Amino acid sequence: MRTLRAVVGPALACVLAATAGGCALLPDQFPADPAGTLTRVEGGFLRVGVVPNPPWTELPEGADADPLQPTGVEVDLLTGFAATVDAEVVWAAGSEERLVGDLEAGRLDVVIGGFTGRTPWSAQAAVTRPYASVPDEAGAEELHVVLAPMGENAFLVALERYLLQQEVAG
Amino acid sequence: MTTSADAGGRRAAETHRQRTRFGHTELPEEQERALRRAVRLAWLTIGFLLTAVVLLYLVMGSSQAMKAAWAEDLLSFIPPLAFLVALHLTRKPPSPDHPYGHHRSIGVGHLVAGTSLVFMGTFLVWDSASGLLKQEHPPIGLIEIGGQQLWSGWLMIAALAYTIVPPVLLGRAKMPLAEQLHDRVLHADADMNKADWMTAAGGIVGILGVGLGLWWADAAAALFISGSILHDGVTNVRTAVTALMDARARTVDGSEVHPLVGRVDEELRALPWVQEAGSRVRDEGHVFHVEAFVVPVAGIPPELAQLREAREAVCALDWKVQDVVVVPTEQLPGDLLPGVGARRDEQPTDGHDAG
Repeated sequence: MRTLRAVVGPALACVLAATAGGCALLPDQFPADPAGTLTRVEGGFLRVGVVPNPPWTELPEGADADPLQPTGVEVDLLTGFAATVDAEVVWAAGSEERLVGDLEAGRLDVVIGGFTGRTPWSAQAAVTRPYASVPDEAGAEELHVVLAPMGENAFLVALERYLLQQEVAG
Repeated sequence: MTTSADAGGRRAAETHRQRTRFGHTELPEEQERALRRAVRLAWLTIGFLLTAVVLLYLVMGSSQAMKAAWAEDLLSFIPPLAFLVALHLTRKPPSPDHPYGHHRSIGVGHLVAGTSLVFMGTFLVWDSASGLLKQEHPPIGLIEIGGQQLWSGWLMIAALAYTIVPPVLLGRAKMPLAEQLHDRVLHADADMNKADWMTAAGGIVGILGVGLGLWWADAAAALFISGSILHDGVTNVRTAVTALMDARARTVDGSEVHPLVGRVDEELRALPWVQEAGSRVRDEGHVFHVEAFVVPVAGIPPELAQLREAREAVCALDWKVQDVVVVPTEQLPGDLLPGVGARRDEQPTDGHDAG
């Protein structure tokens, strides 16, 4: 095992030096998306799953209502984000489980629905930094987040950067 | 049968109360200095680890590699703590209930440290391997510090970089002390410290890989780190168990038979009244206990004074030889000295002395 260490050590040092040297020539996208979500969204379509949860997300009701025209605080937020990356939003409505499943499978780019930092979906979706802190019915502060695909870090960082710039009050 | 702790020696020891001891063994000045330094380094290690553990915990996020590196730093507390606790216990003199002293506490501490490394290493290997198999993509997003937005990967890299250098320096400082003191826990600790920079470097490579869009880099780095924890654990358990099993005394890194083993027999054989000698030397932790069998020339029983001289000659070989029993016999007892005949003088007897 000593010999193993003797080999692994210098090898790691080389990789480290190489990466340190490479840092100067970082790719334009850093962190990058393994599946290229941000690149695909830019100038294209942002697919957003909406779980109805007023006032964060509301689906229109009534006979002539169009389920593809949701409203709410988070709907406005995502519309704004789409504008910054020059994308057109495609809305999809459904249950949490279904939409998070679609997010995991790469069929959606974001899921919104008044999620908080304590969401149980954190193993299935990347939870963004909270964009607002709002007291719930019991008066406890709730940190509101939206869900992004796992490990699509360029997209996650772009989304978080936008969300952190917004002033949102519940 | 006689023992080394004669009344005169005891009285002399009592007048030197301020001298540091392992049980009733007084430490030579060099070892005493080494011991004081080792204690200081152990506390320094604990202090550094406290800062490292807090720092890594704060920036850990959802990176597997960070989790593994954090767990490793957490586990690194065990060896220095085991060293300090064992040291406290070995200082107790032998008592009627503990006639051999408390030296074994070193072995117990060593085994506990090794076992915890094995368990934690196994858990982390399983954890990161399953992450790799399930193709978990680690999300690493933004963090805001003082109004500045930063990719939190950079923060993780900075925290890992902080943990690269100090352990290496600590390990290098501890290694010679472990040899001087013949302390296996300290040796294991130094060995782990010296290799610690690789886990930090591995973690940095993993985070940079994630930054470049390689989702598997994080879990692969975590696997590398947990593999090194498991390896440390297995090595330590093996050495500790060997020592506790009363194996023949070995050098502190366990790589070879301790040169003192051969020198004890030689010292006895060199006595004019001794025809043949053989001994059992076991490592109690820090100090050796020796049971030596001597066959007098022509079967003439030795004088009591000759036996005392023989014992003192063996004790004078090294401070580590603490507890010596010299037994005159008609012939070397083969059932007590396995492999007797084969003569155990294949060991180097010159120069090298870990003490």
